[in-house]
Amino acid sequence: MELERRGVVAPLVVTETFLPLVQAQAQARRVQPRLLVVPHPVGGLTGTELAGRIEGAAAELLRMADEARGQS
Amino acid sequence: MSTDWDVAVVGAGTAGLVAAQVAAERGLRVVAYERLSPGGQLVNLTTLHDHPGGTGPELMSALTAAAEEAGVRIAYAEVTRVHPGGPARLETGDGEVTAGAVVVAAGLSAGRLGLPGEEALVGRGISTCAGCDGPLFRGRAVAVVGDDEWTAEEALELAGFAAAVTVLVPGEPRWSAARAARLAADGRVDVVTGAAVTALRGEGVLSGVVVRTADGERELAVAGVFPFVDRRGPEGLVAGLAADAEGRLVPGDGVLVAGDARAGAEQSLAAAEADGRAAGEAAVAALAATAGSLRIVDPTHGVLPEGDAGPVEATDSTATWADVALFTNSKPNATELLRGLGERLQAHWELPELGFAAKESASVAADPDQIDWLSQRFKMVLVAVGD
Repeated sequence: MELERRGVVAPLVVTETFLPLVQAQAQARRVQPRLLVVPHPVGGLTGTELAGRIEGAAAELLRMADEARGQS
Repeated sequence: MSTDWDVAVVGAGTAGLVAAQVAAERGLRVVAYERLSPGGQLVNLTTLHDHPGGTGPELMSALTAAAEEAGVRIAYAEVTRVHPGGPARLETGDGEVTAGAVVVAAGLSAGRLGLPGEEALVGRGISTCAGCDGPLFRGRAVAVVGDDEWTAEEALELAGFAAAVTVLVPGEPRWSAARAARLAADGRVDVVTGAAVTALRGEGVLSGVVVRTADGERELAVAGVFPFVDRRGPEGLVAGLAADAEGRLVPGDGVLVAGDARAGAEQSLAAAEADGRAAGEAAVAALAATAGSLRIVDPTHGVLPEGDAGPVEATDSTATWADVALFTNSKPNATELLRGLGERLQAHWELPELGFAAKESASVAADPDQIDWLSQRFKMVLVAVGD
């Protein structure tokens, strides 16, 4: 979040379980982070399961990145 | 008496957030110091059995929002020493501040077994967060060490993932009859009383423990151990304040103590909330007694400082959109997830390479030097923060 405050585009990868925690932290730090939310958990996944997480989040990341670059 | 704050709260877990909210709702200027993130132990609980608040992170989020709405300022810095007095002085990572009243709600330290090689295995089989790390042990055997409500709750949570959960109780259990019944009803949980862990097994990754009971010593093959023993209170944090045998503080000398950090505190969410409320009210009463009937209200209270109102643009960065990095919290699979996502972006934007940085652990704040380097060198950083 500090990176965004310094002008860096910094999407935060967070699982659904930790989303409320990250949102509360963001509120406390007065920032509105770019959030890339993936299903919980990430730890303990097999390679195939992890590839599924990546596949599921990639499109949103690319959209987020293109949008940020387009606005600069 | 002129002070930086009316009330300074050390620790933004359940007790600290409630105490801060109560004091702020009475118009006091309140700061709550937290080393890493608000919520305390709540963030580790995915299910709350004694409370209607949903999951731990959900309740923590609600408590944080309520405190902020009341006007509490949450400061991300560690308080290293409190000097009681009128005013009290607090040494923090951001410098020294003064406050008319102090509430210490710093909770307890993480559990430890006190065995050789233990620290090297933290994150490699040793954990104190079933909600975070439980999925790592899906279908495998784990042990939980302790005798209190927290131990029982973590064991029950782990039973949702692990093939077998052995609860090693040093003496006799202190958990409630209700939790005892839930443990007994779970076929994956085995409770062993009078059990001490005497050694850890494993090279680089935990593979088992040695357990001593009245019947002698035996090897227990487990992939994970969750210790909830030897959790210490913040003994020594407050100059001159007494502590019990477990390092939990005895309130006195004008310093209020709330939640698990207080000697004699009951380990429950309801008790932490009640304790926080009582401490907040006591802080209000103490300041009212000092100030008399006249109170001058700071008209800027609740208005964010200018520096907090929005983003701070980096001034010395020459980074372009070709400069993209990954920043991992080093939790299991977090780096792999970031690399997979980074590769997609690398292909999409035809980037020659990606920068990379890693925190040593998810449970410590990012190194300021790393943040400086990333913000100066890169235009975009993909960050793993909560998984």
